[in-house]
Amino acid sequence: MRLALREIRRSKVRFALLTVAIGLLVFLAFFMQTLLVNLLGFFTGALEHQSATVLVYGEDARRSLEGSNVTMEQVDAVARVPGVASSGPLGERTLTVRADGEAVDAVLFGYRLGGPGAPTLMASGRRPRGADEGVGSSIDAEQGFGLGDAIEVLPGGDGTGRPLTIRITGTADESRFSVLPTVFVPWNTYVDAVRLANPAAPEVRPSAVAVIPAPGVSPGALAARINREVAGVEALTREQAVADAPGVSSVSQSFSLIIGLTYIVITIVIGFFFVILTVQKAASLTLLRAIGADTRTLVGALFVQVLIVVVLAMAIGAGILMLAALGSSPVFPIQADPALVARVGVTILVLALLAALVAARRIARIDPVDAVNRPTLGGLS
Amino acid sequence: MRLALREMVRRPGRFTVAVGMLTLLAVLLLLLGGLLDGLATGSTGAVRAQEGELLTFSATSRDSFVRSQISADTRAAVDAVPGVRSTSGLGVTLVGARVQGREEFENAAVWGYQGGVRGVPAPPPAGEAWVDRRLEAAGARVGGTLRLGPTAVPVRIRGFVDDTSYLLQAGVWVSPAEWRRVTATVRPDRILPPGSFQVLSVDLASGAAPDSVATAIDRATRDGATGATSTLTKQAAIDAIPGVKSQRGTFTFIINTTLLVAAVVVALFFALLTLERTALYGVLKAIGASSTQIVRGLFVQAVVVAAVALVIGEVLTLGLGAVIPREVPLLLEPGRAVTSAVSVLLAALVGSAISVRRIIRIDPATAIGGGA
Repeated sequence: MRLALREIRRSKVRFALLTVAIGLLVFLAFFMQTLLVNLLGFFTGALEHQSATVLVYGEDARRSLEGSNVTMEQVDAVARVPGVASSGPLGERTLTVRADGEAVDAVLFGYRLGGPGAPTLMASGRRPRGADEGVGSSIDAEQGFGLGDAIEVLPGGDGTGRPLTIRITGTADESRFSVLPTVFVPWNTYVDAVRLANPAAPEVRPSAVAVIPAPGVSPGALAARINREVAGVEALTREQAVADAPGVSSVSQSFSLIIGLTYIVITIVIGFFFVILTVQKAASLTLLRAIGADTRTLVGALFVQVLIVVVLAMAIGAGILMLAALGSSPVFPIQADPALVARVGVTILVLALLAALVAARRIARIDPVDAVNRPTLGGLS
Repeated sequence: MRLALREMVRRPGRFTVAVGMLTLLAVLLLLLGGLLDGLATGSTGAVRAQEGELLTFSATSRDSFVRSQISADTRAAVDAVPGVRSTSGLGVTLVGARVQGREEFENAAVWGYQGGVRGVPAPPPAGEAWVDRRLEAAGARVGGTLRLGPTAVPVRIRGFVDDTSYLLQAGVWVSPAEWRRVTATVRPDRILPPGSFQVLSVDLASGAAPDSVATAIDRATRDGATGATSTLTKQAAIDAIPGVKSQRGTFTFIINTTLLVAAVVVALFFALLTLERTALYGVLKAIGASSTQIVRGLFVQAVVVAAVALVIGEVLTLGLGAVIPREVPLLLEPGRAVTSAVSVLLAALVGSAISVRRIIRIDPATAIGGGA
């Protein structure tokens, strides 16, 4: 341990550069993993955290709630399928609203009060009980979607209609949709808002049918039954709807590829650095072995150095992540999750220790006899 | 310089580590750049293709195509603004489209247009469409039929056009009447009144300044009896497409951090190398080599390491690009490869510069033990 620390003290520049390089790479891994989790949550949070466990889309929707619409006849047909405990229309629409005095984009989720589609992760207040009330996404509370706030849906067309005011009676966690502030409102309020946005619309269709299965009926089995019995729809379990939402799989795959590559770079940088260092000090290590230092001591010193570098690098990475989170915009607030950071950190630590095995093997193969063979160590060649 | 290159030829193994690490970082950079380009190109093609220098949205739409509505009266007011040569109406509806003979739906953006779209011929007759080549990969063929939406509105493919996607959905370009027909069946809640369009593409008179005309249009519609507008330059309209600006910001940040890592890795490698060669540099200085010559050699080695890493990295990235699933929007373009190469070379030079001070401070006396 003392040996490891002394060497670090004597070679500050080398270890500082390595720690900074690894620290930046660790930050990249932390940042991209955090971004991925945040992004996916902001994409589909409202869908994941509403009460319907089966969602029925139009068959051409390509599993996109935004691209889906169903007819009221299809809503009724789904309600008649055996195994459906309750069902109702679910509407989703991005609209221009005024919140906190500013015109912003927001998503409205409309559901029938008392029916499926209600927000499940209530953070404050209560769910809507009547017209023109709504539950806002808690992460946007500071932007005018908090408990007690009122938002106004702005009229579309020539913009001359009267805005529709929705009072926020509660907030729900992890309930954004399409990376936008989201408000859950009663179905009739949703219809009013969509008509206000487009007065020329002859009808307002639900985006999907929200369904809760009867006790003893699994969501998967019910979705399959609905697909068999109702024409022109595609029923999905909530989990399928979230996983297959547009952008989710491409974002996941893209980020996983880059994060995987970052892990490989971290492993290789650590592994090769300690191999180079071991090769450079081979003569000293041979001498140490010749004067009685055992392999375990020298390998132990190596792992202590790896641990110190990686722990410091994690501190750097976590520090920069905190700064990035503080500097992120309210539109896309980056939230660092300590559990996620810890998970990524442990993965990096394990990879670093595995990478150091190459240098450890080299140390273990040092023969003390070389000390008397090497002219550089005062021996005879 | 010759000495530096000779060392690399004689002992290539010594530089393998740096080349390996930089290669991986180059792959990372190229993939990040490719994803950024793929997302940007696939999201913005239809707007970039507009020949009009300005795009006029309704004021309350927050510059969103699908939420905007421009009435015939508002359009007349825009047409009357000095500096406006002509306007073309535009509308888009996102639908699922089935290619003839296929069961699965493909993502499509049906555009109703009146002309003025670069690379897209004049609006086709009723029942026909110009289709983005993106759908060719899904089996679409000229003369074949696309069936749009749940009621399978049929349109015959008249020909293919390039780079006209919107929000990663392939552009399907039809006449305004056809677009209204599709919207009425697919998204009845998005139907617009007769004569209305979602957006106007504004062509300017020669010599007219885009910013001044945009301000004049919005002033004219605000003060008149028609609906107020928000007029943007084409670039601003591109930035207003959902996700485009935030994607660019996030990816640029990650790319810059990766470049910083590349610079630090090169710095680390050459710092170690310089340390190892301190005695050798002392000898070189003792026999007359100047610090400038040695530093020049160091820079040459850094550039060669980066160049080799870039070549291998580019080949690996192209290989990865060929096997990556279709839904990952990766676009590997020569321009991005050049930018990445220049950035990595600069990072390598900056990184290797950290050893310059140490080289300058080496005393030739170390060659005869004077430094001991």
